[in-house]
Amino acid sequence: MSETPNYDSEYDAIVVGAGLAGSTAALTMARDGLDVIMIERGPSPGTKNVFGGVLYTPRIRELTDFDDAPKERYVAKKTYSMLSEEGDETSMSIAPSSWREEPHNNSWMVLRADFDEWFAEQAVEAGAMLVTETTVTDLIKENGEVVGVETDRPDGELRAPMVVLAEGANSLVSEAAGLKDRDDRDNVAVSVKEVRKYDREKLEDRFHIDGDAGLAAHYFGDGACGDAVGGGFLYTNKRTVSIGVVYSIEDAAHDKKTPDEVLEEFKQHPAVAPLVRGGRMVEYSAHAIPEGGPDSMPELVHDGAVIVGDAAGLVLNSGVHLEGTNMAVESGYHAGRAVADALAQGRTDEAALASYETNLRDSYVVENLEHYGWFMDTAAEEKEFLFDDLPRALGRAGDAYFKMDNTPKDEHVSEAKSHILDATGGWLGAAKKAWKFRKMLS
Amino acid sequence: MAATSDTSADIEEHEDVWVFVEQHDGEVANVTWELLSKGRDLADERGENLVALVMGENIDETDIPEQCIARGADKVLIADDPVFEPYRSDPYGEQFRHLVETHKPAIALIGGTHTGRDFAGRVAVPTHAGLTADCTELEMEDGRYEMRRPAFGGDALATIICPEHRPQMSTVRPGVFPAAEPDADRDGEIEEVEVVVDEADTMTEVLEREVGDVADITDADVVVAGGMGAEGDFEPLWELADLLDGEVAATRDAVEEGWIEPARQVGQTGKTVRPKLYIAAGISGAIQHLEGMDDSETVIAINTDPNAPIFDNADYGIVGDLHEVIPELIEYFQENEEAIPA
Amino acid sequence: MTDGWNIVVCVKQVPDADDVSIDPETGRLNRSDAEAVMNAPDYNAVEAALELRDEVGGTVTALSMGPPNADAVLRVAVGMGADDGVLLSDPAFGGSDTWPTSLALARAAEELDADVVFGGEETTDSSTGQVPPGIAAHNGWAQLTYVEELESRPEEDKLVAKRDVEGGYERVAAELPVVVAMGFGENDPRPAGLHRKIYAETDFEPETWTAEDLGIEDEVGLAVSPTQVGGMDTADPVPREQEVVDETDELAEQIAEVL
Ligand SMILES: Cc1cc2nc3c(=O)[nH]c(=O)nc-3n(C[C@H](O)[C@H](O)[C@H](O)COP(=O)(O)OP(=O)(O)OC[C@H]3O[C@@H](n4cnc5c(N)ncnc54)[C@H](O)[C@@H]3O)c2cc1C
Ligand SMILES: Cc1cc2nc3c(=O)[nH]c(=O)nc-3n(C[C@H](O)[C@H](O)[C@H](O)COP(=O)(O)OP(=O)(O)OC[C@H]3O[C@@H](n4cnc5c(N)ncnc54)[C@H](O)[C@@H]3O)c2cc1C
Ligand SMILES: Nc1ncnc2c1ncn2[C@@H]1O[C@H](COP(=O)(O)O)[C@@H](O)[C@H]1O
Repeated sequence: MSETPNYDSEYDAIVVGAGLAGSTAALTMARDGLDVIMIERGPSPGTKNVFGGVLYTPRIRELTDFDDAPKERYVAKKTYSMLSEEGDETSMSIAPSSWREEPHNNSWMVLRADFDEWFAEQAVEAGAMLVTETTVTDLIKENGEVVGVETDRPDGELRAPMVVLAEGANSLVSEAAGLKDRDDRDNVAVSVKEVRKYDREKLEDRFHIDGDAGLAAHYFGDGACGDAVGGGFLYTNKRTVSIGVVYSIEDAAHDKKTPDEVLEEFKQHPAVAPLVRGGRMVEYSAHAIPEGGPDSMPELVHDGAVIVGDAAGLVLNSGVHLEGTNMAVESGYHAGRAVADALAQGRTDEAALASYETNLRDSYVVENLEHYGWFMDTAAEEKEFLFDDLPRALGRAGDAYFKMDNTPKDEHVSEAKSHILDATGGWLGAAKKAWKFRKMLS
Repeated sequence: MAATSDTSADIEEHEDVWVFVEQHDGEVANVTWELLSKGRDLADERGENLVALVMGENIDETDIPEQCIARGADKVLIADDPVFEPYRSDPYGEQFRHLVETHKPAIALIGGTHTGRDFAGRVAVPTHAGLTADCTELEMEDGRYEMRRPAFGGDALATIICPEHRPQMSTVRPGVFPAAEPDADRDGEIEEVEVVVDEADTMTEVLEREVGDVADITDADVVVAGGMGAEGDFEPLWELADLLDGEVAATRDAVEEGWIEPARQVGQTGKTVRPKLYIAAGISGAIQHLEGMDDSETVIAINTDPNAPIFDNADYGIVGDLHEVIPELIEYFQENEEAIPA
Repeated sequence: MTDGWNIVVCVKQVPDADDVSIDPETGRLNRSDAEAVMNAPDYNAVEAALELRDEVGGTVTALSMGPPNADAVLRVAVGMGADDGVLLSDPAFGGSDTWPTSLALARAAEELDADVVFGGEETTDSSTGQVPPGIAAHNGWAQLTYVEELESRPEEDKLVAKRDVEGGYERVAAELPVVVAMGFGENDPRPAGLHRKIYAETDFEPETWTAEDLGIEDEVGLAVSPTQVGGMDTADPVPREQEVVDETDELAEQIAEVL
């Protein structure tokens, strides 16, 4: 065989995983003139990624020519619905006119298989190298410092001054190398999702959308995902609908139902069934989401390595918000800059990389995480109320309030009130609950 | 280097429909009879002769030429010489080139078996023929011969035409057309042709040959097919097939594992079956496999994975382990014998 | 021949069969959606070529005909261990069917002074399996198709193959030069080593030859292709009941119904 060159120390940085966080870091470093190699286990970036999903794009817009990006629909309308197991639905819908205008509140439904591939391509165009179908299995460490990676390929070690760990929620490499504790079970949510394909016209008629406008629908209550803390979602793409459930693994373990069954029941809820009827399933996937909040964030900076995106636990899952993409990008960006600065000084030690963590803490990322971090705890405490009693009470209250019979409306109103008060534990209970959940919309 | 004869100038001179008779050890492959039946239709439509081409050694000691006539050929050309036994691409190709140049056929049909494809690919070049692989439809449209064939693993059907070159050649997979029934009263002409190949000019030598089981799964009314999900154990499938008076077939991957003989492979590179009942057990439903069983009347799927594509291509399915489901089916039919037609 | 054999392996870029879809609105084939990949059976061809080189020595050159971006499949082959790669790329090749395609590959194989030319059993897009026999016919060389195993006899300048013939097998000895079409799935293609893969995708540059370089500019392309695609339709999926039952007995009843 013609001679094979050795690429140890040919690159300034190795990025593990070409997801959003990894490609952002690679793009940022490559633009700064560094030689970067991204290692991705999938046949192309995005093929292994699961998300709902809405991509939040403020930083991506600054980094790329976002108009060229493969995207599906912008979020023109969000709905939040409470579903009871019995079939009640109570919902609220938000569609500010400003969302219809550029930049569409920086919220776009995308298909990750398309978007991530394009996004990684932006990094490649900036000079980064992308190796696919290669899984990083471990880090090479010398004297406590990360000096390279091991992969599943023959002749599979590669050394470089810096390693950026952007491997997503299942951060096996960071854990194996001891840079991160294995996530506690209750810090991880499980999600299953399927994508169904429809005739475009039919889809637009069904959801009352046109052009590039789309709907992001969120569902709560035990009609959405049974007895677990979590919820269901439905997003409209151009010709497909993504529908799925996300719920806490801890609860899932108690529950006998498999994730498939939970999704199936959600799809059969009377509020959801007509929306997903027909069509053809074109994709099915399951994935983990970190949701431990700020307390479960690992050390982000190590000698010779930084951790970004989901691997660093940077996901906001507050019930109202499910955001990880923007934080993945933001963290990749700050990490990329920090690495470039450190290498410019010829350094790779923790102290030289500290600006990554500082900048991230100064950005909205950590602030948001802290602000909403309480949510999962509160939700877990109030599980029965939130996911069981409330949806049913809302359903009954609505039923009573609007009842058509021969009694005066006064009676309907007081019956409706009593359903709600039963669920909350009287006026005092309602006030306490309102206080407890005030942050949710603050 | 082989000579290249460009025959595009004289399309009009080419006539007759030829069928390449594939025989191994004196036994004719069933696909030949299928081609004779289709070739008969084409020849009638064109008002031309159907010619069967037999190559081999001591053909006169067999009844192959007579059988070809009984199954529709008007004429049989025989190239008889030890150099043609067994099949080898180089002497067969050289002889065929000579016959095309001297006889000028319009269309040649060849079985889409390994031997047929090896042969077709070789002979199409020196005769500058338009060769369409693995046609599923052969029609005359407005006096023009049109060939239709699956592309992209069966997702699409391409229409292939060959406006300016003769002969036009097609390979056809076993099972695509029904076989011609013999009619002993038919008349036909038999002609021995000049052999133009010499053993000294050949480049290959067959050292050893074993033609195995040429099981014919294409005629069965019931096919019980297994895939990788069978995990090496086809026993329950055999038992069920026996009970239902059917045949056992398999996916390519299962054949490759050596769990069953290649003659039983269904699909793009295997056989095409169209039984009344196709039971797909432990088969994912890859497009290349579906291509060979899509025309089955009723498809039953047994698979542990509810998302396996086979369920979209089945009439009835059950999510379950074939090693449990099939024995239960066997038990059911043993208890309800009346459910099986005599 | 003391310094081994000149081994050429033909590899083709095809749309990923899993990705080719039909546009529901136009009913047309969406090839553009599909990732371009190396034809699956060609991995077996590359592996066989590398194994043969390991045995008899010499070099393996990957050869592909296609648009400029088809160099990607040469990089796959070089990543696996091929020494070099040549891309036949020229607008003049456009519209070529198997006749001119095999001519171009045959001339390139001659130019490379090939002793053995490998190809895959067939491609996943057009699946004709005609190109390897076509290469052999154009050059007047021996051919071995549907090959399961190879045995080299360098001292006799021969290659012996075990071929899959209808339900059985045969062993055939062929004189060099010879064209071999490897049976799909007959060997386990080796994964590319990490550094070799990086080399193949970055520093390695394949040579590009045009029709004129091969002296066949008037013998390729649509005009000399005997066959033409007259049209492409979507194959309508056979309508199926798609009913999933829970109990084996229900399934048995359905079967009984059909019988
Ligand atoms: C069901 C679901 C719905 C969601 N919905 C939303 C939403 O609507 N909006 C939103 O903003 N966020 C959402 N999220 C969160 C969002 O998807 C993530 O926060 C985001 O994808 C994180 O990006 P990342 O780059 O850190 O990780 P990933 O996107 O997971 O990328 C990691 C990459 O690394 C590769 N990789 C992993 N291990 C290795 C290895 N060992 N070697 C090589 N490569 C490796 C993977 O193949 C992958 O390409 C959702 C998540 C889920 C699961
Ligand atoms: C050029 C080319 C030509 C080809 N030609 C053909 C061809 O002619 N014919 C052909 O068949 N293929 C062909 N293939 C291969 C084809 O693409 C598929 O790889 C093959 O058909 C898959 O076989 P399978 O379904 O047995 O295996 P798999 O895809 O591995 O599927 C096995 C299935 O069994 C299920 N299963 C596992 N265990 C059990 C159990 N205990 N009980 C029930 N179910 C179980 C699994 O869920 C899975 O769905 C070709 C490929 C190429 C590239
Ligand atoms: N354009 C091409 N370039 C290189 N090799 C090819 C090309 N077309 C076909 N081949 C080879 O021929 C084999 C059979 O292809 P086909 O005859 O198209 O089914 C493939 O597996 C390749 O090895």
